[in-house]
Amino acid sequence: MSSTWGSPEFGRRIARRQAAERRFRLLGLGAVVLSLSFLALLLVIMAKNGIGGIDWRFLTSSDSTDPATAGVFAAVKGSLLTMLVTLALAFPLGVCSAIYLEEFAPRSRWVDWIEVSINNLAAVPSIIFGLLGLALFINTLGLPRSSPLVGGLTLALMTMPVIVISGRNAIQAVPPSIRDAALAIGASPTQTVFHHVLPLALPGILTGTIIGMARALGETAPLLMIGMRAFVASPPSGLTDPASVLPMQIFLWSDEIDRGFVRDTSAAIIVLLLFLLAMNGLAIYLRNKFETRW
Amino acid sequence: MIGTLSLLAVVVLGLVGWFTGRGRARLLYGGRGTMHSLPAYHGWHLALWIAVPALVGWAIWSMIAPHLVQVAVLADPLATQLPPSGFDRLAILAEARNLAENPDASAFNPLSAQLAQPMAGAVREFGLIGLGLVLVIAFAGGAYGYTRIRAGFPARTRVERAIMAGLLIASLLAVLTTAGIMASLLFESARFFGMVSPIAFLTGLHWAPGNAAGAGIDADFGAVPLFWGTIYIGVVIAMIVAIPLGLMSAIYLTQYAGQRSRRWLKPCLEILAGVPTVVYGYFAALQVGPLIRDLAEMLGKANPSTESALAAGLVMGVMIIPFVSSMADDSIAAVPQAMRDGSLAMGATHSETIRKVLLPAALPGIVAGVMLAISRAIGETMIVVMAAGAAARLSADPFASMTTVTFQIVQLLTGDQEFDSPKTLSAFALGLVLFLVTMVLNIVALRVVRRFREAYE
Repeated sequence: MSSTWGSPEFGRRIARRQAAERRFRLLGLGAVVLSLSFLALLLVIMAKNGIGGIDWRFLTSSDSTDPATAGVFAAVKGSLLTMLVTLALAFPLGVCSAIYLEEFAPRSRWVDWIEVSINNLAAVPSIIFGLLGLALFINTLGLPRSSPLVGGLTLALMTMPVIVISGRNAIQAVPPSIRDAALAIGASPTQTVFHHVLPLALPGILTGTIIGMARALGETAPLLMIGMRAFVASPPSGLTDPASVLPMQIFLWSDEIDRGFVRDTSAAIIVLLLFLLAMNGLAIYLRNKFETRW
Repeated sequence: MIGTLSLLAVVVLGLVGWFTGRGRARLLYGGRGTMHSLPAYHGWHLALWIAVPALVGWAIWSMIAPHLVQVAVLADPLATQLPPSGFDRLAILAEARNLAENPDASAFNPLSAQLAQPMAGAVREFGLIGLGLVLVIAFAGGAYGYTRIRAGFPARTRVERAIMAGLLIASLLAVLTTAGIMASLLFESARFFGMVSPIAFLTGLHWAPGNAAGAGIDADFGAVPLFWGTIYIGVVIAMIVAIPLGLMSAIYLTQYAGQRSRRWLKPCLEILAGVPTVVYGYFAALQVGPLIRDLAEMLGKANPSTESALAAGLVMGVMIIPFVSSMADDSIAAVPQAMRDGSLAMGATHSETIRKVLLPAALPGIVAGVMLAISRAIGETMIVVMAAGAAARLSADPFASMTTVTFQIVQLLTGDQEFDSPKTLSAFALGLVLFLVTMVLNIVALRVVRRFREAYE
């Protein structure tokens, strides 16, 4: 191009390039705004449909064929029991696994296998875990169908890799000087890890655990596989009773033809989102309160 | 009932052992340097000797006890009235067991009500034997552990070795899960492929498992329409939405947005990934589906349905945005600052630098992110179950209802289940295909990301 400095041709090119710059920037802003407005639309519509349906009766009664008397209590209780099983299994196993891989594992082919399968499991579709739960826990071990026990076991297998990965990151973030100091005054490697590294990594591990649990709480597909879609009109009284969970209740109600269930479904969605919001809020709070920058 | 009691007894005995061991070791303390390990380690050592063998014994016993109960009940004179074999016999026994556990349950078969009595007796008897066994093992283990408490005994090393074994077992669980998934999918799929030829399954164009039976069975298990529906919804439509929006969001957030707005916008965008898929599914079915139907009507389609590939794909695309965005974010951030500075110093504008320098340099990472996003999209279940429809058809019409692999898995496995029908087993074959495809996508993507990171470090 033969335009020289200061020529009108040069000025036009600069203007064109600056216009392109502005367009590009606007495009980026547009993408963010469009994505967020979809989220806003979703939340507003659910709130509009459902907010009128949330009252004391809705929160304390259980599923029913009549939308006016149906409530979420049984589903919430089922969700809590399921999450209890998931947490009791996935948290200790996930933390132990993270400690081993990060602190003690020798570099070997076996350990590579463990790492590959953990990273892969974290991205396997959740419905596959449902198939595993169906084949293993129900068909092979004969555990009761649609119970919080089987649901919790299945979700624990799904949540464990998430906890392992976040646990490893948290352990990795603890500076080596802490370990060196403990080892230097005569602590054994096990004592170093359990007395010094683990307490420092715990906030990070807990944050990851809560996020993994929030994902498990919103999960529906694997529970469909193990039969947690039955009509459950009374709250489960134990881990082996037939139960429903909150996302499943939403799914079941969304299939109902009666228009009254639109309100119930949206109200249940609001309840579920509030639970998730509380859990994520707790995770963010923990991170901000205990996070140490080394 | 007695089983839980034995478990509780083991825990209590272990606790007692801990205090006993620690107390005994404290008595041995004779000044600095006389003991190998701290007293608490002797406590742990003793507690482990009490609890671990007893728990193993308990686990083995609770596996064999039901069989012993069954044998005992069958020896009862009443059992001669049982039908000789088959389903009825098992049903009556199962019912009797249920009655033995809670007497309030209603009896369907009068014989099972009679058998409940000996059944309850046998359960109690073998439960007590089990409790005795567990207690004996716990005491034997405890006695052995107690004799080992000496000043020079390396209790800490032993306990740490046990801890290490526990940690190793926990981390092997991930491999076991993978192996379990593979085994269960392969086993059930093998049964399916014993009835239907794999070639017909992978290349057939007609999917109608409902009426499949007899000789023409191969013709009704052609899964290509499902693969096509999955690809069309999850890869074509969802990615048309997610890639531009995700990529542009990442570029805006990393390159243009100020510190403050970035701190707010990024978590907001991440909420999109945290909304449960059932909520997206409901939104797609309730709002997006009807909207798309009206649009199709306006475009002159005859009888469009509310369930369409477009509705499911659009919503899925929105769900995927944060994945694409955060992966693109990471890979753009990994491009060395010097490359950016160089381009800017040559007089390129910001957008020119991004398009001509940053994006090409970050491309491998972005492609890996898109692969992970695709693996997420094709495994997504609830959105397609609620919004995509059940019709297995090969069509490029986005307004047509279409079905996917995940939808069919759900469809085939909910409802009446007979575990030997090819209809039910085909769900596992579909699951196997899905698992293998997503696994390849994940592993390739993770490898690309790692190599890409190494290239710039």
